[in-house]
Amino acid sequence: MTADRPPHRPQSPPAEAIRIGVFICHCGGNISDVVDVRRVAEEVGRLPDVVLSTTHMFMCSDPGQMLIEEKIRELGLNRVIVAACSPTLHQLTFRRALSRAGLNQYLFEHVNIREQVSWVVEDKAAATLKATRLVRAAVGRIRHLQPLAKRRIMIHPSALVIGGGVAGLVATRDLAKRGMRVTLVENTPFLGGRMAQLYTLFPSNEDAKELLGKLIAEVVHHPLVTVHTGAQVISSSGIVGDFRTRLRISPRGVDKHLTQVGIAMAACPEETISEYNFGLTRRKAIYMPYPGCWPQMPAIDWRSCTKCGKCLSVVGGKGIDLSQEPQEIEIHSGVIVLATGYDPYEPMFGEYGSGIFPEVITLQQLIRILDPEGPTAGQLVLNGRPVKSMAFIHCAGARQYEGINMPQPSGKVNDYCARTCCTATLHQANEIIDRFPDVVIYDIYQDIRTYGRGHENYYERASERGVRFIRYDPRRLPKVRHDPRGERPVVVMVQDLLTNRLDVEVPVDVVVLATGVIPHDISELVDMYKCAVGYDSFLLEVHPKLRPVELAVSGVFLAGSCQGPMDITECSAAAAAAASKAAALIAQGQVEMDPFIARVNEDRCSGCQTCLTVCPYEAITRDPRKGVAVINEALCTGCGTCAATCPSNAIQQFGFTDTQVMAEVEMLLADMMPAPLPTGGSHE
Amino acid sequence: MSEPANTASTDTRPAAGPDWQPRIIGFLCYWCSYTGADMAGTARMKYPPNVDIIRVMCSGRIDPELVTTAFARGADGVLVCGCHIGDCHYITGNHKTMARMPLLKRILLDLGIEPERFRHEWVSAAEGEKFSKLVAEITEQVRRLGPLDWPGLMRTRGVGHGMDLKAWGE
Repeated sequence: MTADRPPHRPQSPPAEAIRIGVFICHCGGNISDVVDVRRVAEEVGRLPDVVLSTTHMFMCSDPGQMLIEEKIRELGLNRVIVAACSPTLHQLTFRRALSRAGLNQYLFEHVNIREQVSWVVEDKAAATLKATRLVRAAVGRIRHLQPLAKRRIMIHPSALVIGGGVAGLVATRDLAKRGMRVTLVENTPFLGGRMAQLYTLFPSNEDAKELLGKLIAEVVHHPLVTVHTGAQVISSSGIVGDFRTRLRISPRGVDKHLTQVGIAMAACPEETISEYNFGLTRRKAIYMPYPGCWPQMPAIDWRSCTKCGKCLSVVGGKGIDLSQEPQEIEIHSGVIVLATGYDPYEPMFGEYGSGIFPEVITLQQLIRILDPEGPTAGQLVLNGRPVKSMAFIHCAGARQYEGINMPQPSGKVNDYCARTCCTATLHQANEIIDRFPDVVIYDIYQDIRTYGRGHENYYERASERGVRFIRYDPRRLPKVRHDPRGERPVVVMVQDLLTNRLDVEVPVDVVVLATGVIPHDISELVDMYKCAVGYDSFLLEVHPKLRPVELAVSGVFLAGSCQGPMDITECSAAAAAAASKAAALIAQGQVEMDPFIARVNEDRCSGCQTCLTVCPYEAITRDPRKGVAVINEALCTGCGTCAATCPSNAIQQFGFTDTQVMAEVEMLLADMMPAPLPTGGSHE
Repeated sequence: MSEPANTASTDTRPAAGPDWQPRIIGFLCYWCSYTGADMAGTARMKYPPNVDIIRVMCSGRIDPELVTTAFARGADGVLVCGCHIGDCHYITGNHKTMARMPLLKRILLDLGIEPERFRHEWVSAAEGEKFSKLVAEITEQVRRLGPLDWPGLMRTRGVGHGMDLKAWGE
């Protein structure tokens, strides 16, 4: 059997006699005021194999830890029990003490007699009895413990960044600058994400595409960066340090030999709505979203392309290939950064007149209209009509209330604040005042939340320069109707809280919905990486303050608005944080993990495969040759569900074997047994 | 089966004296329920001392055999706690618990163990109060039923030597 012994169980159970040391903590009275710790020590000291049973004022203090180390050396202890606070607090402290004394740190048992005894039991005699039982159970269990070694996993010095928007780009740049090899994967054929659809940015009024161009140049020209556009993650396996991700890369259909780009695009007979312009314009099946996009060449949208070959024939067959097939490749990486971003909220039919009146548009569409490179060359014109008056309605698809707003397809309402839209709306209002001073602007809001540095200026400037603010009650949402007087196409009917609930009718040319932010649909990735998702459907970090950019899955980091609504400043900060956490992990070289994984005893396994069905991590497979279950130790997280399931008791979980837990049960109830206490001897 | 099979054997049980304390074993998952129990302690909520806690990493590890063994070794009641569905540290470990425990309850009934002696509840890391109430409830529930005394029964009736740990050994 020695040959079969797992590598992280480096030695056979010590042949020498078991010598248990029991250390009971007073916790400065926290325990000893209720539990008679000396009495417990005395009782437990009578149990077989207990060589030492003593108490100390503070076991976790330096003298307390030194006492453990001394006694291990002096008395040759090979098992140590500490009865003190909860193991969540000091289990690690005492394990380290064991290590320092040269004893395997897993030959340790922590008994909780503070949080679960002295602090909850009033009767002193009952508390002392309970503490005695619990320590006794530990004595029963510790006999069966075996030395274990932490699992060490080497970290592949590379990163995979999923999402080529601003967050993904910043994360990629920062990781590459630290000398990491980075693969950047973008689902669409072009980099830039949502940022490319903006015009100027608050709070500096810089040009979005110019800024983005600089960032993209830094990324794509870096020798350590590989970019895959049109690439979709189709499967992923492995764990921290050793992820293997399969990508399906759609062919671009176009290469750098295509020089007559405009001619090829003009020749295409197939048209579809432009995602880039949020449906305001149409584009061809061979297209570039905007002139400065990256890569600087068109892509073919295979869903609209009929492969008619017209583009091919006008350019003489050079640079276009309609016969390319998707490719699958595998990326090996040590860490993964998710930067999958957001989607603007899509108003439902009828929501503030959306879908009914062509005059109702979203903030994203307005930004495209205001962009000089946009569908109207920057003229404030909608459906051929110049705009003379407009109303913004805030919180469309955000800060919704159950019973008032229509529920989303998920059945819930978006009750969270989308955070960016207030400042973005006021930024556009100022832009319009600057460029089209005659336009009358109404701003209809629940609350104005211009929270960031410099954001409030937009509100102040908008109020100073004549934007008319109307505050609505979220219980009485504004309504968009046909203007009965026919002055303007539509009228917004709203009760204004600022004028003591005066009913106001606002006739306008255009209604702009300041639509909120929803997470980009990444349900497949969520399943793949077992991501935690918050109640708002955004990805959930481990801890909002202490570990803000890490997922609970080790080695996977969050960058940007996949985690919640963020503006570009915040996205960049989050991406930089994710990059530095990821780089720190890679720099560590390896990770250590607890050894409490499950292991199959092949001699006992009947090959029934029941364990395969219960493993939450798909870590168990069947060895077709031997006909037995095999556990992938890299994937096993040590829940022990398979061990409980195996009908043949062929699976044991290290640290929680049947023998160990049964011994604990038996010793807890030792006084209930009519027969004498079973003594000594391991059954393992 | 209309009523528990062991009602006929109650005469062989020790009478529950006024000082009798039920002995209950609690199997708790580490991430939610054990932390919830710690929280009850941190908040100094007082509850009866009758439930002795055994910690496992996930409630999915709680083999029904652990529960039946606890009864066989003299427990008067057993409490099983895990994370709420959807909160499992191991994603779906507790789904197996959710499937197993109701079945186990049926088996216990067939074994002549009153269903009130066994409880299965979800306790989150924040539900210290729920845990302390749960302990008080199951203690009271079991106290009303009196001792189970399976080891005594097995000896007087000569069934199920069951005392031999070797059966569990590897």
